[in-house]
Amino acid sequence: MGDYWNVLRNNFPEIASGFLMTCRIVAVAFLIAMGVGIFVGALRAAPSKMLNRIGLVYVEFFRNIPLLVLIYIVFYGVNQADIVSLDRFVAGALCLGLYTAAYIAEAVRSGVFTVGRGQMDAALSLGLTQREALQKVVLPQAVRTVIPPIGSLIIAMTKNSAILGGALGVNDILHRTRQIYNDNFKFAETFLWATLAYLILTVSVTIIVRKLETRLAIRR
Amino acid sequence: MGDSTGSTKHLVEIDDVSKNFGANQVLRGVSLSVDRGEAVVIAGPSGSGKSTLLRCINALETIDSGEIRFEGRSVSAAGKDVYGLRAEMGMVFQQFNLFPHKTVLENVTLGPVEVKGIDRSQAVSKAEELLARVGISEKASASPADLSGGQQQRVAIARALAMEPKLMLFDEPTSALDPEMIREVLDVMRDLARDGMTMIVVTHEMGFAREVCDRLVFIDEGVIVEEGPPDEFFTAAKSERARDFVDKILHH
Ligand SMILES: Nc1ncnc2c1ncn2[C@@H]1O[C@H](COP(=O)(O)OP(=O)(O)OP(=O)(O)O)[C@@H](O)[C@H]1O
Ligand SMILES: [Mg+2]
Repeated sequence: MGDYWNVLRNNFPEIASGFLMTCRIVAVAFLIAMGVGIFVGALRAAPSKMLNRIGLVYVEFFRNIPLLVLIYIVFYGVNQADIVSLDRFVAGALCLGLYTAAYIAEAVRSGVFTVGRGQMDAALSLGLTQREALQKVVLPQAVRTVIPPIGSLIIAMTKNSAILGGALGVNDILHRTRQIYNDNFKFAETFLWATLAYLILTVSVTIIVRKLETRLAIRR
Repeated sequence: MGDSTGSTKHLVEIDDVSKNFGANQVLRGVSLSVDRGEAVVIAGPSGSGKSTLLRCINALETIDSGEIRFEGRSVSAAGKDVYGLRAEMGMVFQQFNLFPHKTVLENVTLGPVEVKGIDRSQAVSKAEELLARVGISEKASASPADLSGGQQQRVAIARALAMEPKLMLFDEPTSALDPEMIREVLDVMRDLARDGMTMIVVTHEMGFAREVCDRLVFIDEGVIVEEGPPDEFFTAAKSERARDFVDKILHH
C-alpha cells in the first residue's frame, strides 16, 4: 500500500493539475455540446423538412466518424491548412463538444416527441410562432425529460475526454499519469490514481444529474 | 393580405370548406357564418369532423378547398399573418393543455408577454384579474398539476382570455372532467357568453346549449346536416340522423 501513497505524494501537483485540466475540457465541451446539441435537436424536431435534413446531416456526420479521427482531422488538418492555428486544447474540446452534441441532439429530439402535440397546439393558439412555441413551451419540457439520458452522455463525454491527453498530449489526467509512469515504471500504483480521478468526476456528474432531475421535475 | 372581397358583416365566414386527411374526407363542403356576439354549438357523432372544423378556423389545420375568413381576412391564405389571426382567437382544448413547466399565473401571462409584448407587471395584474374572474385567484402560484381538472380548464379559459380574443373556440371543454366539475366550467362559459363573447363550442352538454347558445349546428360525416335554435334541435330535429344522435345523448 505504501507504494501507492508514495506515488500520490511525490506527484500530487501533476495529478492535481491533470485533474483540473480534465475539468476544464469537460466544462468547455459540455457548454458546446449542450448549446449545439439543443439547437440541432430543435432542427431535427422542427416542422420543416429542410431543417430536419440539415439536423440529420449534422447528426449522421458526427455519429459516424470516430472521435479520434475527427480530432486528427481538425487539429492536424486545420493547422496544416494554415488558415487559423488551433490550440490543442481548443481543437480537442471543440471536437469532443461537437461530437457529443450529435448524441444530445437525438436525445432532445426524442424528448420533443414525448411532449404531446397538445402543448404545441396550445402555444400556437395563443399566437406564438412555431419557433417561439418550441423555445418557450416544447423545448423546456423536452430538456427536462431528457436530463437522465443527457447525464449518461455527459459521463461518456467525461471518459472520452481522455482522448485529448492520449492523442493530442493535452495535459489532462491521462497524459499526466502517463508521464509519471514513464518516470517511475510503476503501472498499478500510478494508474490507480488516474482511475480514481476519473471516478470522482463521473460520480460528481451523476450526483449533479440526480439533483437536477429532482429540482426540475415537472409534476403531472 | 390587403383587401377582402367578402363582407365583414360576420365575424367568421366558413365558405365551402373541405379537408382531407389522406384518403379520409373529414370536412366536405362546410359553410357556416358566425356573427359577433353569437354563441354557436357544434354537435355531432364522434369522428364527424367537429374538432377538425375548429382547428381549421384558427389554422391549426390547413384546408384543401374553400375559404375561411375572420373579420373578412382570409385565414387559409394568411401566410405569416396567421400568427396575428390566432392571437385574436382563443382556443380551449378537451385536455386543457396547460403548460406543466409553468405556474398557473405564468400560463396566463405567457401569451400577452411573448406575443403582444405587454409589460410583465401589467400582464400579471391582468392575469390576476382573469384568474379571479374564473374563480381561482388563490392558485396563481400553484403548478397546473396541483389543480383539479375543472380548475385546470378554468385556467385554460383565463389563458385564452388574456389575449383579449374576439372569438373563443371550445373543443369539448368538459368531456375530460368528472361530473361534479362540469358545472364550474360551464358557468364560466355562460358568463362569457352573457358578456357578449363570440363563441363556437363543440359540446354534448344539452343544458348548456339550450340555455346559453343561439344556434346549434349538427354535423355528421363532415357535412352540416342541419342548424337552428338548440331547443328545436333537441325536441324536433328534422333529419333522421339528428334524431338518432339526440336519442343517443338523451339516453346516455
Ligand atoms: N391529424 C390527423 N391525421 C389523420 N386523421 C385525422 C387527424 N385528425 C383527425 N383525423 C380524422 O378525422 C376524422 C374527424 O376527426 P375529428 O377529430 O375532427 O372528429 P370529432 O368530430 O372531433 O370527433 P370526437 O367527437 O371523437 O372528438 C376522424 O376520422 C379522425 O380519425
Ligand atoms: Mg373532437
